[in-house]
Amino acid sequence: MKLIYNWLKDFVGIKTSPLELARRLTMAGLEVKAVEEKDGDFVFEIEITSNRPDWLSVIGVAREAAAVTNSKLKIKNEKIKIQKPKENQGVKITIEDKKDCSLYTAKIIKGVSVGVSPEWLKKRLELIGCRSINNVVDITNYAMFTYGEPLHAFDADKLASYEIEVRRANAGEQLVTIDGVFRKLDKDILVIADKQQAQAVAGIMGGKSTEVTASTRNILLEAAIFDPVLIRRARRKLGMQTDSSYRFERGIDTQTALVSSDYAARMIIQLAGGNLICAREKGATKILKKTISVNYSSVQRILGASISPALMKNILAALGFGVKGSKTCFSVTVPSARQDVEEEVDLIEEIARIFGIENIPAEVPYVKPQPRARTRFDIISKTKNILIAQGVNEAITYTLIDRKLLELFSWPVDEAARLVNPLSEEQEFLRPCIIASLVRAAALNLKQKQPLVELFEVGKIYTAGNNEELVLGLVLCGKKSVVTQEAVVNIKEGFLRLKGIIQNLFSGLGIAQPEILFNETTAGFKVKLNSKEIGQFVKVSSAALEAMDVKYQEVYAAQISLEEILMQALPEKKFVPVSIFPAICRDISFVVQENISFKQITDLAHKTAGLLLEQVKITDIYRGKQIPQGCKNFTVSCVYRLPNRTLTDLEVSPIHACVVQALTQALSAQIR
Amino acid sequence: MGNTNCEEIKQQAEQELISVSDKQALEALRVKYLGRKGLLAQLMSVIPSLPVEERAAFGQAANVLKNELAELFDQKQKDMVSGAHKGNQAAVDISMPGIACDIGNLHPITQVIDEICNVFSRMGFSIEDGPEIETEFNNFTGLNIPLDHPSRDAFDTFYLKPNAGSNEKLLLRSHTSPAQVRLMKSRKPALSVVVPGRVYRPDAVDASHSFMFHQVEGLVVDKHITLAHLKGALEEFAKAVFGKHITMRFRPHFFPFTEPSVEVDISCIICQGKGCSVCGKKKWLEILGAGMVHPNVFKHVGYNHKIYSGFAFGMGVERIAMLKYGIDDIRLFFENDLRFLKQF
Repeated sequence: MKLIYNWLKDFVGIKTSPLELARRLTMAGLEVKAVEEKDGDFVFEIEITSNRPDWLSVIGVAREAAAVTNSKLKIKNEKIKIQKPKENQGVKITIEDKKDCSLYTAKIIKGVSVGVSPEWLKKRLELIGCRSINNVVDITNYAMFTYGEPLHAFDADKLASYEIEVRRANAGEQLVTIDGVFRKLDKDILVIADKQQAQAVAGIMGGKSTEVTASTRNILLEAAIFDPVLIRRARRKLGMQTDSSYRFERGIDTQTALVSSDYAARMIIQLAGGNLICAREKGATKILKKTISVNYSSVQRILGASISPALMKNILAALGFGVKGSKTCFSVTVPSARQDVEEEVDLIEEIARIFGIENIPAEVPYVKPQPRARTRFDIISKTKNILIAQGVNEAITYTLIDRKLLELFSWPVDEAARLVNPLSEEQEFLRPCIIASLVRAAALNLKQKQPLVELFEVGKIYTAGNNEELVLGLVLCGKKSVVTQEAVVNIKEGFLRLKGIIQNLFSGLGIAQPEILFNETTAGFKVKLNSKEIGQFVKVSSAALEAMDVKYQEVYAAQISLEEILMQALPEKKFVPVSIFPAICRDISFVVQENISFKQITDLAHKTAGLLLEQVKITDIYRGKQIPQGCKNFTVSCVYRLPNRTLTDLEVSPIHACVVQALTQALSAQIR
Repeated sequence: MGNTNCEEIKQQAEQELISVSDKQALEALRVKYLGRKGLLAQLMSVIPSLPVEERAAFGQAANVLKNELAELFDQKQKDMVSGAHKGNQAAVDISMPGIACDIGNLHPITQVIDEICNVFSRMGFSIEDGPEIETEFNNFTGLNIPLDHPSRDAFDTFYLKPNAGSNEKLLLRSHTSPAQVRLMKSRKPALSVVVPGRVYRPDAVDASHSFMFHQVEGLVVDKHITLAHLKGALEEFAKAVFGKHITMRFRPHFFPFTEPSVEVDISCIICQGKGCSVCGKKKWLEILGAGMVHPNVFKHVGYNHKIYSGFAFGMGVERIAMLKYGIDDIRLFFENDLRFLKQF
């Protein structure tokens, strides 16, 4: 909201400079975002929190300014000096439901001359960004900005009669509003109607046909109080927000409505002439005063600062509260403009605001320690650290995705959790799987010509029943040179790279290695832990990749459930004594058929060599010119060792010979 | 005659030493000159055959040479150790790329979350999490945000298709505060927790808005918790994350779930309070919102607000990361361009 310094000074005798006033208001919770010097005045851009509708007016800000600068208010709530209405007849107000509209006032002013506003009025409105229309409309706006109560002037002659109805719109009822837009109304929308039809959307905007124009002679001036919730719903439904709806939604008090109606009427008569013919009010005009008690000790208990009761009293009184003190507490009467104040703590806040939060001491709390063995957070942190240590970068992708992505990854659209009110089609679904979003991130990097992309993400996936699950996603693409113990292997085999990363993760977390089994349906692999399926390895389809402009690349991805891992991760690891006895290593290089797995080889070697064989390590695998088609050449290193003594060549040689023989016989290996 | 010979041997040794680059070669050269059958030994062996009057001078010259050679070899050895070869040429071109395994990086958002949580962890807070799919009660009502109230405008929300046969409205949490409701409902005071996580709001994406972002929520509840404690804890936090030199300001504000409420600003870390494009000449940067837990929130979770008091705070992680690292576009966090990710 915009506000100008001189307008404010009409109501409060401040001597503080505009900048200093801006600072003090800000530190009291009325944030001044900017102060701009313009046309000999200062325009304040202020941000008003939704609990303070009273600040949506010059007078409301003036009250605050008086309190923060210790200045005097100059608000005269004078009853306007209007001649007694001559003929007190004609206006009849019917309110269908008092809950929708607790007060409706109408004044008939006859014989006005609608024309341009005086320069001072135009200037003030323009400085706060409100376009000048004509004197009558400008005055209703000026009164609204001054008091906070939106007013509306109808061209009285264009109403069917002076019988006003405040009612819900009928089904199918229509209205063209002042902005020229055709509005379809319904029973959730409150309207101001004459005997025939709706003439205004209550609290939001008037109708075009009863608008005050240059030819208007007689006006009906409305000031009312509408149900904030109803106004809010209607303006959302109609998709329009006005200065009026903004204020009604936040709540206006009776006092303000009555006073500002008088103020505007007086001003119209002063500036546009005419006579007040009739004034009617319907509804609750009485104001109920709220009284709240504030214990001195509660102030200390919440703020942690000792403030003397005298100071508290001064603060509250300066803000317009009525205060009566006793030994232990105040009894505080709330002014009608302060609808937001409902209980003790609201008043404690008032005291804190004006006392100055900067004047409250800072004290680090003693927090009761809450030791927990290992939290999810710790294990997730560790998981991420094990992954980055392996060269994989952490990504964070959007959890909301579009239909296209679901379809590309063959996910049944009907089974995915879905938003009722998506912002756009791009974010309509909650991802059922983490892989798709990671592949999209990988695609972006591939387009940047990154030779190697390895990303992981720890994030949620969602299922149709609106359940969520924390998973780990991995995506790999490109070539990576991996230094193993004895060789540099250029990894093409994406599945094996996935396996390696996962194995390191599991051993790092102290979890048993998972089983990795071929998955016939996806031609990828299933990851099982304790015979429970916890994840998938997949090779991303070329169709999905091409849709993301990725060509000639193989992309591998995995998704692993973290819930299972979080449960299994062990807080402690067990030490296995290391052997102090040296090992004897024997290398074998041999050619076997492609269909022989490495596991078959190691199983056979262990079965043959028994306890002496500690490990079979792979040092090289080769396919190429010197090797027959359909075959591969393995070079493995057999490590022989006993835990309790040194082995001799004599012991190892015959056993190793048996291993070699077994390989030749059982797996038709050709030793090279 | 002896002197000439000595001089020649010395020059020859110097010449040969230049090309020596490893220990082995140096040792071989030492043997060649100073070994038992080396050139010097051969020179000495001539002495008995010399005329008596020449012997002394020759012997002296040979000794001088021996010392000189020994010094040459020592010097060479020292040079080799220090790598300072003649001509100042290092053995390794150290401008070559270093040899190392690739390591990955944690996402900058994770790094900032870790940093924030660590500060509070050190003060004794525990780190918790909460679901992203929430009930309307936990996200709004339980936090004293009435439905159909303007205070909800700041929390526009994505709603989910409800589960079959259920009337409960589900949504994607628009802030991490519903975790407060969950934690208080499931535990008794005292409580001191921080909750990091993703939140969602229907904001059109641009350089400073995203429909998905991260927050860290904090909550302390105990007897005798005051606004002074809120200030103390948050000052510790801000100084730990942004540096000891910053100044802070607590402005009264409004949040439905706290009363009194404050917004917390730090002096601009970019211009140090001189005014710049980031702080918009205001010299202050807003970093978080906080306040004393509203009695209505305590009522909803069944805590006695006359016995217990507490403070809560919430901060946007992206905003803090953008300020810390000088990032000017929030979309960069979710594009996952490796050239971006690898910088942190």
